[in-house]
Amino acid sequence: MMTVDQIINAFKSGEKSAEEITRGFLDVISQKNPEINAFVEVFETGSLARAKELDQKRARGEKLGALAGVPVAIKDNILFKDHKATCCSKMLENYVASYTSTVVEKLLAADAVIIGRTNMDEFAMGSTNQTSVYGPVKNPVDVTRVPGGSSGGSAAAVAAGMVPLALGTDTGGSVRQPAGFCGVVGIKPGYGRISRYGVIAFASSADQVGVLAANVKDAALALEVLAGKDVHDSTSLEAPVPAYAQLFSRDLKGVKVGLPKGFLDGLADDIKQKMDEAAAQLQKQGAELVEVDVPHAKYAAPCYYIITSAEASSNLGRYDGIRYGYADEASADLNSYYENSRAPFGLEVKKRIIIGTFALTSKNYEECFLKAMKVRELIRDDFKKAFEKVDVLLTPTSPTTAFKLGQHDEDPLALYLADLYTCQGNIGGLAGVSVPFGKDKDGLPVGVQFYGPILQEEKILNVAYHLEKGL
Amino acid sequence: MEITKKDVALAAKLAKMRVSEHEAAVYEAQLEALFNWVKDLSAVNTDGVELSNVNLSAHVRADEPVTDEKRAALLRADFNASLDDCAKVKKVL
Repeated sequence: MMTVDQIINAFKSGEKSAEEITRGFLDVISQKNPEINAFVEVFETGSLARAKELDQKRARGEKLGALAGVPVAIKDNILFKDHKATCCSKMLENYVASYTSTVVEKLLAADAVIIGRTNMDEFAMGSTNQTSVYGPVKNPVDVTRVPGGSSGGSAAAVAAGMVPLALGTDTGGSVRQPAGFCGVVGIKPGYGRISRYGVIAFASSADQVGVLAANVKDAALALEVLAGKDVHDSTSLEAPVPAYAQLFSRDLKGVKVGLPKGFLDGLADDIKQKMDEAAAQLQKQGAELVEVDVPHAKYAAPCYYIITSAEASSNLGRYDGIRYGYADEASADLNSYYENSRAPFGLEVKKRIIIGTFALTSKNYEECFLKAMKVRELIRDDFKKAFEKVDVLLTPTSPTTAFKLGQHDEDPLALYLADLYTCQGNIGGLAGVSVPFGKDKDGLPVGVQFYGPILQEEKILNVAYHLEKGL
Repeated sequence: MEITKKDVALAAKLAKMRVSEHEAAVYEAQLEALFNWVKDLSAVNTDGVELSNVNLSAHVRADEPVTDEKRAALLRADFNASLDDCAKVKKVL
């Protein structure tokens, strides 16, 4: 597959037309998607029309954008005007976006081609991509295994070569975990780096748009286009956006990589070995390894499930048949109207709403929600102190590699625990990137994760770039 | 933490959702496992921890001063009460 860099060069130099490039990826999608199920809709007509427009723009000699001619897939919870956005839920099966999200506006302004929308766990709640109303996505590395989630469709699409770049969203690891499982790069910038305007909300204090790409440089090029303050999102940050892909250093001399104490306890031997190898390689490239203490990070997962479920119970209140979602016109009274209109939610979504509602009841508020919020403060303090000593932290992306479809269906807690390393980044608001680093004993990709402070994505991209380069 | 079908039914009712008998039974077991796990948090000493009461990005956000005084005054006039030049609203528990 051509990299983003190669596509831009081929298009700008006239070696290939945008139409040729787009048709090439559409062909791969038509060959591979029936088995992988990464795309829920391909904008064939629209993407080809857009590609032809770009060819004309080039022919007129007009200046071309930073992602000129690059086909990009978007997760099914990101709005693109006049296109469906269903969150892979029956609740929104007929919803057509009435406006375009800021991230898609930015991609279009950079002359990218939006090629389709990708499969995901319903309302981004899940880490297997099995809760989608469109059926599960299969991991292109081994189709008997999950691609991870919730941005499993985006990760699988990139891994299968169906698209060079895809957008996902990450509330507890939904970009980085599938990136790790599928052997691609996934970056979730720090909270506020990318606008959430036009992204369907799950848990507003943790949701972030992220990028899935075949390599670190491609992810950096996309992040540069997407990052920045947006007047439509008050949580987006006013700060200059660096040219990330031009900031890769020659080596890692002077870079301090933090190894959090106890993070590798209980890991499978082969993943632990890959982590040791990654640390050794970084050291060989000039980095200094420093052990750091983040004592409360182990509590991130229970905090995450309480806080995000509480926020989801509020955010998903809008699907009541009046404001959004399915409307059951046949109901006899108002209560039945609400209950019937909210019936299309799937089992996992209903469960999270119930968890959140339960945690917010007056009986449980203090013990559950307030406690989780306070522990979140301690976790954030731990990371803040750690970043006073080091530039980045090195962790596994997930405790395991991709598991079999259906393997944890009877034990959701096992799935929740699998988010341990990724949800720390959302609870702390950190920037995080997962980069592939070799294979486990079964030949499955192992993901290595770097965390960095908010607004310092260039640090994690730089270290990830060197790790990738050293392979 | 013991979770009963009644707890599940109450939370579902508050969320304006209907859950079937089967769903309630599944959720009861899963919620009990989850909230027992969440109990790990009780081991953390949070005495004296104050919620920052701001979103994660507030520490790097610039102030957003009022630039249109006329519009601000009009907005304030829409509220029933004001205090220190701010709109006063009822506390919601």
